[in-house]
Amino acid sequence: MTELVANLGLGLSVAFTWYNVLFCFAGVLLGTLVGVLPGIGPTATIALLLPVTLNYDPSSALIMLAGVYYGAQYGGSTTAILLNLPGESSSAVTAIDGYRMGRLGRAGPALAAAALSSFFAGTVATFLLAVFAPPLAVAALRFGPADYFSLMVLGLVCAIALAHGSVLKAVGMVLVGLLFGLVGADLFSGMQRFTFGQIELADKINFVSVAIGIFGIAEILRNLENEKAREAMVTKITNLFPSKDDLKRIVAPAIRGTALGSVLGVLPGGGAILAAFASYTVEKRISKTPEIFGQGAIEGVAAPEAANNAGAQTSFIPTLTLGIPANPVMALMLGAMLIQGIVPGPRVMTNEPELFWGVIASMWIGNGLLVLLNLPLIGLWVRLLTIPYYMLFPAILCFACIGIYAINSNAFDLYELTLFGVLGYVLVRLGCEPAPLLLGFVLGPLMEENLRRALIISRGDPMVFVSRPISLGLLITALLVLIIVLLPGIARRREAVFQEDGD
Amino acid sequence: MKKLLGAALGALLIGAGAASAQDYPTRQITMVIPFAAGGPTDTVGRLLAESMGRTLGQQVLVENVAGAGGTVGAARVATSPPDGYTIFLYHIGMATTATLYRNLPYDPLTAFSYIGLATEVPMTIIARPDFPAETLPELIDYVKANTATVTYANAGIGAASHLCGMLFMDAIDTQLTTVPYQGTGPAMTDLLGGQVDFMCDQTTNTTSQIQAGTVKAYATTSPERLEALPDLPTAAEGGLPELTFGVWHGLYAAAGTPEPIINELSDALKVALQDPTVIERFAALATTPSSQEDATPAALEAKLVSEIELWRPLIVAAGQFAD
Amino acid sequence: MTINRQDLAVGAIFIVIALFFALNTFFGLFQPALPIGTPQRMGPGFFPILLAGLLTVVGIAVILKSVRSQPLTLNDVPWRGLAVILPVPVMFGLTIRGLGLVPTTFLTAFISAFASRRMRLPLALALAAGLTAFCTAVFHYGLRIPTPLFGYWIPGLS
Repeated sequence: MTELVANLGLGLSVAFTWYNVLFCFAGVLLGTLVGVLPGIGPTATIALLLPVTLNYDPSSALIMLAGVYYGAQYGGSTTAILLNLPGESSSAVTAIDGYRMGRLGRAGPALAAAALSSFFAGTVATFLLAVFAPPLAVAALRFGPADYFSLMVLGLVCAIALAHGSVLKAVGMVLVGLLFGLVGADLFSGMQRFTFGQIELADKINFVSVAIGIFGIAEILRNLENEKAREAMVTKITNLFPSKDDLKRIVAPAIRGTALGSVLGVLPGGGAILAAFASYTVEKRISKTPEIFGQGAIEGVAAPEAANNAGAQTSFIPTLTLGIPANPVMALMLGAMLIQGIVPGPRVMTNEPELFWGVIASMWIGNGLLVLLNLPLIGLWVRLLTIPYYMLFPAILCFACIGIYAINSNAFDLYELTLFGVLGYVLVRLGCEPAPLLLGFVLGPLMEENLRRALIISRGDPMVFVSRPISLGLLITALLVLIIVLLPGIARRREAVFQEDGD
Repeated sequence: MKKLLGAALGALLIGAGAASAQDYPTRQITMVIPFAAGGPTDTVGRLLAESMGRTLGQQVLVENVAGAGGTVGAARVATSPPDGYTIFLYHIGMATTATLYRNLPYDPLTAFSYIGLATEVPMTIIARPDFPAETLPELIDYVKANTATVTYANAGIGAASHLCGMLFMDAIDTQLTTVPYQGTGPAMTDLLGGQVDFMCDQTTNTTSQIQAGTVKAYATTSPERLEALPDLPTAAEGGLPELTFGVWHGLYAAAGTPEPIINELSDALKVALQDPTVIERFAALATTPSSQEDATPAALEAKLVSEIELWRPLIVAAGQFAD
Repeated sequence: MTINRQDLAVGAIFIVIALFFALNTFFGLFQPALPIGTPQRMGPGFFPILLAGLLTVVGIAVILKSVRSQPLTLNDVPWRGLAVILPVPVMFGLTIRGLGLVPTTFLTAFISAFASRRMRLPLALALAAGLTAFCTAVFHYGLRIPTPLFGYWIPGLS
């Protein structure tokens, strides 16, 4: 314990120097901005910043890059809420209720709920990171391919539970997402699947193209359907900040979201992507009023935002303690260390204590700066909605195109944007929801990969999924969630039949 | 629109002829790296770009064009104007993709001008921390006796760990169960967690784990022992002289780039490879810069030709292609 | 009994997508057919076929259910928006390397502005100019993306 205090003291002494606070502020400010701009996200930004960081001290460089990462989590929810434009899979969940709240004139409270629960989650998760990093990292290693497969199954069941309309259509959308997720080179045989000989497709369809296509482009087209309706809606903005009742409603979801996000974020195989929608499912199921989810429930904003921010913070655990990247952003952080001449790995903590603890301590400062930065900005963001839409969407398109191109300099990603724009628009117009498709798309490759990998390691024995306790536990949970999802569905259908009979 | 295209085409022709070495470079140079930012090749590239930019008096900007084992980036550079403003850092993949991909949109031997070799990153053979074998001969004996249960992890087809695995299995004449991963990170995770048995990967990824004792290490594939890991024997010492290779990196430009420009770039590369910062940072990657003789167009061309021939039979015998 | 044509269409789209992937797996259009393998040792075609099969079942179920549900009221199809917006990313992809960041951004903003009926030429020009300036500042000078301001199609400026 005294050691921890000493370590944190060291960290704070590094993070609280004026230039590191400045770097931290630069990072979170930049992160917020790129999070708000559709298309360009933290991955592209950090990649672009790598050469700049060469000139700075390693701690300062990493403090700034980390700031960009979690700052972008804050900013990403802003466009999800205001424009139905999620930049990452986690903010796709925020978009569901956040965007509805915006349409009801409650964009302000939605943004505030997102910022406050993110702040809470960030602070708590940073504390966990400081206290439990090494043992958590070791525990996370127990997760094998079979366990990841079961986790993905649970994730998909949650994706279906997200739907507030037809469960059947949601299942269909998940499957469509899973299928498109398979496009690209097969990891196991090296064969190209559904690429039509285009080597640009070999590394899978670009996630950002899919997200902006099915959410952003589809949303632009829907707004063009009836240009008058959109104008009418923006005049209705009421209060900017959440009421007392709102605040009361977000406390418990934020705590639960933080817990779930912290746990899933530690898993090095991309468990964090499940955090946001797993927490949304939890809130929807334990809520006394599940019917308001999808109609602008503030809990549906607070919980996933808390979860994804907590996950963002704890995903540093495997990166900093083991030198293993949990996601592409973490891979870049390791790259930044390499360029600085620091070899990432289990010895960073002992060899570079100032760097390790400095970065962790800076996260507290960063989260504090973010909430100070974001609360006053809410007024400005909400005013964005008063800009006529016919001036807003050319801007969205410009940012999206440049942002997507900046990731890989691959023109093909833009053709994908058009393709998914059409698909998204048609399906959304016909009453399907885009979020399950996006989640299927993200989870599909992970699920198949881990399934096949688990079977290779077990020599084709499928019992591996039930003989491993973690995997078994996850599968049982998935089954329970599935039953709970389907039960109200059956109940509702009956109700509908009754109503039809009564007419 | 037609007018615009016409103007554009005209511009293309003028642009191609206008490049001359006297005033080269007059604007920023783009270094294409065919892998995502943050990886070992990206790090090598950024360190070189920094130093070369200082020598050339113009910024050298890194552009990551990732995809299909690096061939997307290569295809891009192959069709770039040969004016010296687009250069290309690619590793051993330039030689292996020639066989791994049977429908490349370019010919690796004719589509590029050579600038020079940059570095050769050695490989290490490592195993999960509780693996029974202690030395390379023990590992070979154990693997041969337990072919039904031992698993070898790699980071996907065409990755350095995949190539090393092929070479290893060929050298000990035994076929093993291979478990592929999407990149080195996940593979290392499962190795540390004991889900898979052993792998062979670049020192960039393994050195810190070996030094921390979180994995067992058996050998390095370098011709001599490594400075960073003096206790680790070479594969030749352990009885596998065939397993001597490294992930070599070369610098290219589009075919047809004027010779004076190539020479200027090659000279800048030579300077970069003697830059103390580059040497120091390369050491952190457990690698060393190529010698001055190797940082020449002729050396790179010879290397590429011989490596294509080295890997072709191995890949064909393994029967795994990436298309 | 009314048939909900929207659900009918959704079911049909699901089935078309499923068939597209299934046929590609079995017969291979523009690429080799994918081996299915066995559940113990799955080939690259196993998962796609499994998913395509499930999606077909879901598609059929959606069609069967369409018989009893009420359709949503829909707005008109924004043909103008579709015709203008959808080609814009493709144009961006085709011209970004040749023309460079500045001209391509200008074209993207200018063309897409006309997706709205309210757009007038002076406003579109002003909007495109403003966005080009903003994007150049943010992406080129701020984030330093490696795309040149003017591409190799424009010799004097590149």
